Amino acid sequence: MAKEWQTFVRKFDDLKEGKIKLFIKDLTPGPRKYDTKFVEAQVAKSKEALPDGDLLYIRSESGLKIPHPWYIRITRERPPFVSGKPWEDVFAAVERA
Amino acid sequence: MAFKDHRDFFEVLEKEGELLRIRQEVDWDLEVGAIGRRVYETEGPCLLFEKIKDYPEGFRISNGTTGTWPRLALSMGLRKKSPIREIYKAYEEGLEKKIPPRIVKKENAPCKENIMIGDEVDLYRFPSPMIHEGDGGRYIGTWDLVVCKDPETNWTNWGMYRFMVHSKDWLTGWPQSTSQLAFIYNQRYLPKGQPLPVALVIGTDPISHIMATAPIRLQEDEVDYVGGLRGEPVELVPCETIDLLVPAHSEIVIEGELIPDKIAPDGPFGEYPGYRSGTMCQGVAVKVKAITYRSKPILTMIALGTPPDDSSIAASLTAAVAMKQGLLHRKVPVTDVYVPPEGVTHLIIIGVKKGGMEITRQVLDYFTARRIMTNKHIVVDEDVDVFNMTEVLHAFATKCHPGRGIAYEWYEGRANSLTPFYSPEERKRLKGVSVAFDCTWPPEWPGEIIPIKASFKTIYSKEIQEKVLRNWTQYGLK
Repeated sequence: MAKEWQTFVRKFDDLKEGKIKLFIKDLTPGPRKYDTKFVEAQVAKSKEALPDGDLLYIRSESGLKIPHPWYIRITRERPPFVSGKPWEDVFAAVERA
Repeated sequence: MAFKDHRDFFEVLEKEGELLRIRQEVDWDLEVGAIGRRVYETEGPCLLFEKIKDYPEGFRISNGTTGTWPRLALSMGLRKKSPIREIYKAYEEGLEKKIPPRIVKKENAPCKENIMIGDEVDLYRFPSPMIHEGDGGRYIGTWDLVVCKDPETNWTNWGMYRFMVHSKDWLTGWPQSTSQLAFIYNQRYLPKGQPLPVALVIGTDPISHIMATAPIRLQEDEVDYVGGLRGEPVELVPCETIDLLVPAHSEIVIEGELIPDKIAPDGPFGEYPGYRSGTMCQGVAVKVKAITYRSKPILTMIALGTPPDDSSIAASLTAAVAMKQGLLHRKVPVTDVYVPPEGVTHLIIIGVKKGGMEITRQVLDYFTARRIMTNKHIVVDEDVDVFNMTEVLHAFATKCHPGRGIAYEWYEGRANSLTPFYSPEERKRLKGVSVAFDCTWPPEWPGEIIPIKASFKTIYSKEIQEKVLRNWTQYGLK
């Protein structure tokens, strides 16, 4: 059964299909639910584009959820943080990572 | 009566009918948050969730410790039904005396009953709640107290900032970039590229949490004021891995370091203005070095949101008194300041002995001088009871001239980015605007042209008033 993940973007249009780096939260039920990972991954809007992908739920900066999930296949897991200075924009730091 | 910890205050709440123990199993994932939120909105009791899904017996969550005026009054040793004005007065008087803390040995500190250090650290051992649907994570730090220190002056700052579980041994959080924690980091640690030691204290005595919301001046230790308000020193104990002192009777203490060169997402989070308004991914990351905690720990939660809740009630008290003192310091002839909880520190009521636009402008200057957490300020004459919103609204509606009775000021780099009506661009630049409404009679008006308020107390002679009051019950009135 496909795993479920969640990610946040400032605006829905910010998320692009293809190979990207992103922070994701593990939605597997249990005491470790919402654990965060920083990963390199393939993401796609449709299951056809990523048939072996896990589900990726997307929320905006206000927490609003896109009704239909995207799909994700993790290719590499990195330590759960990026280089950057306190109070800096994390999305800008992810771009550099 | 001074409360040493969260638990002895709960005993009083229980006796007063202000605590409900929920023994039925509840889910840390949204259910406790939803219950807590609804209870705030129905002005219900403080909650103690005693059985949490996925967690062993004994790991508990509380909500709403001092989330109403009666519970706040009890926390200060006052009568449950004390009027707000009386609570303000007691707090203001309490601030006049400072009692420094007492350091106790580790064996006398309940927060050391259990210790995880280094690789043993696992934040998932605690039932951190997912409070609102759509939050960025599980917020372990909501009704908390965050300790940090200026290493050059030894000033120890206590603040209340949100922190969420990022992974097993990392927290992310959002003390605002204009906060005192940020000030210490930027002054002392950033130039050296050093991590800032921080301790996240969860569940200590109620006054300590309330004081963590107080805008105390730089270089002043909140803990001394807590001692003054309690009438006895706060007992502190050294941390295990960092050079900080924390309340010995805390439920949970998370020791860590704010890392200067690593960041990770924080937020979004349903915040104290009553919205989840887009502040996220611009916070700090903390590597956790140790966790110490009492057996059967209570994780103190506030299901923040629309008022009233613990945050809006505590800030109503601590912010208002600080504002009154600040205005008096600037020689503004202020009589009282009220921060209505419904206004979530965005709306402030200021009573003055002498009104007019000059005074209103002075009020606005004070509120926009440094970092700015407020944006609407209603200035009223001293005959208006600032605690009575019916009187305040009446004055606003009838005495504020829309053409010449309003002053406003724009600024940048100092605004409160949690303000819901700011655009994303304004939030990013901390650009904002504040307004002051002059709801007083112009001081230059001669007395004979000032409208007479048509209330019982103001439009009838003393003789008539006394006669009516004397005969009140004889009229058949109660």
